[in-house]
Amino acid sequence: MMLSLRLLYRDWRGGELRLLALAVVIAVAAVTGVSWLADRVAGATEARAADLLAADRAVEYTESIPTEWIERAQARGLDTALTAVFPTVVLTDTANRLVSAKAVNNGYPLRGSLRTQPTLGAAEQTPEGIPQPGNVWLESRLLGLLDVEVGDSLTLGARTFTISAILSFEPDRGQGFSSLAPRVMFNHADLASTELLGPGSRARHKLLLAGPASEAVAFTRALANEQGNAVEIETPSEQGRGASEVIDQAKRFLGLAALLTVIVAGVAVLLTVRHYAERQITGVAVMRAMGATRQRVLGLFVGKLLWLALFAGGIGAGLGYLLHYGMLLIVADLLGTALPAAGWQPLATGWLTAGAALLGFALPTLVRLRDAPPMRVLRADLGSGLLRAGMPLLVAALVILALMAWQAGDARVTLSVFAAVGATLALLAAVAAAVVYGARAYARHLGQARLLWLSGFTRRPVTAVIQIVAVGVGLMSLFLLAVVRNDLLSAWQAEIPPDAPNQFLINIQPDEVDGVRNTLAEAGIDTNFYPMVRARLTALNGEPIQADNYDSPQARRLTRREFNLSWTGTLQADNEILAGDWWGDESNPPPQLSLETDFAEEIGVGLGDELTFASGGGQVSAAVTSLREVRWESFNVNFFVLASPETFNDLPQTWLTSFYLPENETAVLNTLIREFPSVTPIDVSSVLRIVRTIIDQGSSVVELMSLLTLAAGVLVLLAALQITGEERRFESALLRALGARGRRIRAMARLEFWLVGAIAGALAGLAATAAGMVVAETLFNLDYPFRPMTIIAGAGVGLVTVWVAGALGARRYYRASPMRLLREG
Amino acid sequence: MASALATARDSVNDSSSAGSPILQARGLGMRFNAPEGPISLFENLDFSIDAGDSLAILGTSGSGKSTLLGLLAGLDLPTAGSVVMDSHDLNRLDEDARAQLRAGRVGFVFQSFHLLPGLTALENVMLPAELAGDSRAREHAASALDQVGLTPRLGHYPAQLSGGEQQRVALARAFITAPRILFADEPTGNLDHTTGEQIIDLLFDLNRDHGTTLILVTHDQAVAARCARVTYLREGRLMADSQ
Repeated sequence: MMLSLRLLYRDWRGGELRLLALAVVIAVAAVTGVSWLADRVAGATEARAADLLAADRAVEYTESIPTEWIERAQARGLDTALTAVFPTVVLTDTANRLVSAKAVNNGYPLRGSLRTQPTLGAAEQTPEGIPQPGNVWLESRLLGLLDVEVGDSLTLGARTFTISAILSFEPDRGQGFSSLAPRVMFNHADLASTELLGPGSRARHKLLLAGPASEAVAFTRALANEQGNAVEIETPSEQGRGASEVIDQAKRFLGLAALLTVIVAGVAVLLTVRHYAERQITGVAVMRAMGATRQRVLGLFVGKLLWLALFAGGIGAGLGYLLHYGMLLIVADLLGTALPAAGWQPLATGWLTAGAALLGFALPTLVRLRDAPPMRVLRADLGSGLLRAGMPLLVAALVILALMAWQAGDARVTLSVFAAVGATLALLAAVAAAVVYGARAYARHLGQARLLWLSGFTRRPVTAVIQIVAVGVGLMSLFLLAVVRNDLLSAWQAEIPPDAPNQFLINIQPDEVDGVRNTLAEAGIDTNFYPMVRARLTALNGEPIQADNYDSPQARRLTRREFNLSWTGTLQADNEILAGDWWGDESNPPPQLSLETDFAEEIGVGLGDELTFASGGGQVSAAVTSLREVRWESFNVNFFVLASPETFNDLPQTWLTSFYLPENETAVLNTLIREFPSVTPIDVSSVLRIVRTIIDQGSSVVELMSLLTLAAGVLVLLAALQITGEERRFESALLRALGARGRRIRAMARLEFWLVGAIAGALAGLAATAAGMVVAETLFNLDYPFRPMTIIAGAGVGLVTVWVAGALGARRYYRASPMRLLREG
Repeated sequence: MASALATARDSVNDSSSAGSPILQARGLGMRFNAPEGPISLFENLDFSIDAGDSLAILGTSGSGKSTLLGLLAGLDLPTAGSVVMDSHDLNRLDEDARAQLRAGRVGFVFQSFHLLPGLTALENVMLPAELAGDSRAREHAASALDQVGLTPRLGHYPAQLSGGEQQRVALARAFITAPRILFADEPTGNLDHTTGEQIIDLLFDLNRDHGTTLILVTHDQAVAARCARVTYLREGRLMADSQ
């Protein structure tokens, strides 16, 4: 192995393996960068999932948590805390309000932390501990609703409390309508004295646990065995499932993006190693003449590759580490929480990638060297066809497939991505070949003098095609992200008018509708009100619905929960009937339903099916007479199930509305809340902002990745230049000897680079536009315009990239003195 | 005297085979399949050479003398007859076994030098010793280069050396493993007359010092005349062995 290392050092010093090593470094940097990012983000997600529970595990019980349970948990070395959450009414001298009260004891929260403000508008702080006995912390909106301030008092049941702080954040607050009632938090020690929790109260008691995972699992499992359905065990994975699924998908996507870099870098490895191997044939023949066996020769080359994998893998992983910091900076405000320390596993991934790239892309070529005929030392013509074989390409394809399977972790995804990448490459290659060979045929008609001008491009057609494809792939991914993404984003944003509703009011009682409408009208807001019934789907064509009969989890969820149903006489502009007939403007149409098309498909319902809904003791059946497509991105109020007017008249109903409220004009909301206490306002303006931020930052990360792909593409270009270097040097020296001036020789090379770059860039622009149109049409349902500008700009960017890289890479070949011809023969 | 060469001399002096044939060709023939039909390069060649002896094979371009040299060195196998090197019938050995037989026993000097362009003069000479697992390869190579007068050029790459200097490096490389047989293929073919003479002087000096058996292929009568025996390869036959 040490001889391999010495030989590697000598090769390196001779500049033989630099491009090869650089290709491996880039591939490893891409893979490890993504690996580190994914590892740390996934770690943060797990930590955050525990925050969402405020514990590692929790036991929910319908009665007070028995002291014996707490003692048993503590005996196992677990930290414990108690919470009790229940709806109740707080009273002040002048007001009362339904709240969600929460009693907590010392130690809460076991994971994550609370945040409070001493007064409204003051900076948030992390309090030490929980409200002292006799004190409460209130959510800020409650101060306005009750017209109280910090320091005032309020009554909860039989007990009067002092408001000591504003509660601005609690980790386990949860989401959804159930957590909409404002929070009042107080000390668990005060719970009994409120006398609010009599038998049959609707309190949810929880025992929070944190500590050694095995002990927490053992304890909760034992409790579940003893108590059966009386207890419910909550785990962080349930809380964080949504987030970790998103992280998983992002990891897979980025992994495949990194793989694109590996593939392009692999092409560079294939090219450089072929060039390297060709230059090694005579040396190997000399070694074999000196007595080295085939096995010895193979061992030396495998040794060199392993050392190279070790070094290039290490350096690549170092770069990948820096890369993941860059990506973290981009997404910093999305992640928000402190990330766990970086682990070592991505380093192993890096070495594995380096090993796979070198053994997969380089070894199959180098293996052939062991058959270099020793007679070559006497007859130079022997062994020149040694490297002609398709095997290295086949092995490379298999290695790529294996790497993809490793990154995607799913056979179907692997095969479809492999096919898509293969098809894209084949398409690029076909078009590039058509252009290059077309130019070649055309150049023949131009006569010798002009043929010279096109010589580099047309005399090395295979190299030209490889360069175009490699640079094209890098540019394509960059354009797709940089240009097409922006177009898609602005097209999507154009779909959402600037005055799209950002406020929803729900739970408006029928007798409050006119009042709310008037209050809004006084503030200059004119809006529609929609009736809403919450009902459960109980039967389909008279047969009771069994949620468990559905395969898809989505359908099971839909059929288990309560639906929001509505009715209307007029179809909204953002709805379109796809099948059946809308009941139109008839004054009194018979009861019938219109379903959102994806929803209907999910639960397996079509035109003519009869659905039965039940709510508050009432029951209504009606047939489906139309299927609608809904543009949800309009942010208007929309419903999966719409009925003809008066269909649901017998079921208990509330009303809702949505409207646009400029960010700093929220006074009307306060008025509404005071006048109509039961109405719940929901502010969605932040949702749109968050979605835009996620798309923006997510694609910046992928953009960073595609820059690496482009770098790998430029490496392929340089590798191709290296292969043709000797030929260029010879041409240059010969032309000079024949009297050509340096300027003319450089102009010829420049033309070649321009052609390769412009064609690669134009193809990349075309492919990116096509991909953008497909994505826009299939995923976002948007009209994406064909933009010739992308192709023209692509050609420009490609031209400049290849020109600069080519001029730098090939400069030394064109400095060849005609004397070389004499010296080298 | 450099230690590498001293070691080489010891190994020759220790050899019990002095005076007996170290290399024998029996009924040696080589045919090629060409597009116009099979071509016989030479056939039925018989000769032997004793350890420490020197033999020149003279012939015109294309007469097959380089091919004959390759067969004698075991770089290829004949289509007829056999070569026996140091009591081993090369026909019975596969390529790797022949390579092992060559290792440390056979040295080469080529017309086009065949120095590895990425290696310095010192590293080129070190290579055979390193392949043989010599832990003092650097030291031995330095003294071998000293013996061919190239100490000031240790760190130079082949491209920085003149033709004569490159061939001196090749000589040092050939002798570093103290081979028992040295095969030289037109060693002065790429050199001017004066430099060629210097190289031949050096080659024969080293050969004498090491007691190496020398088989030299050339078209230069004067070079051939320095060998103890001269034979002509003409129209596929060996003729007029001078002694």
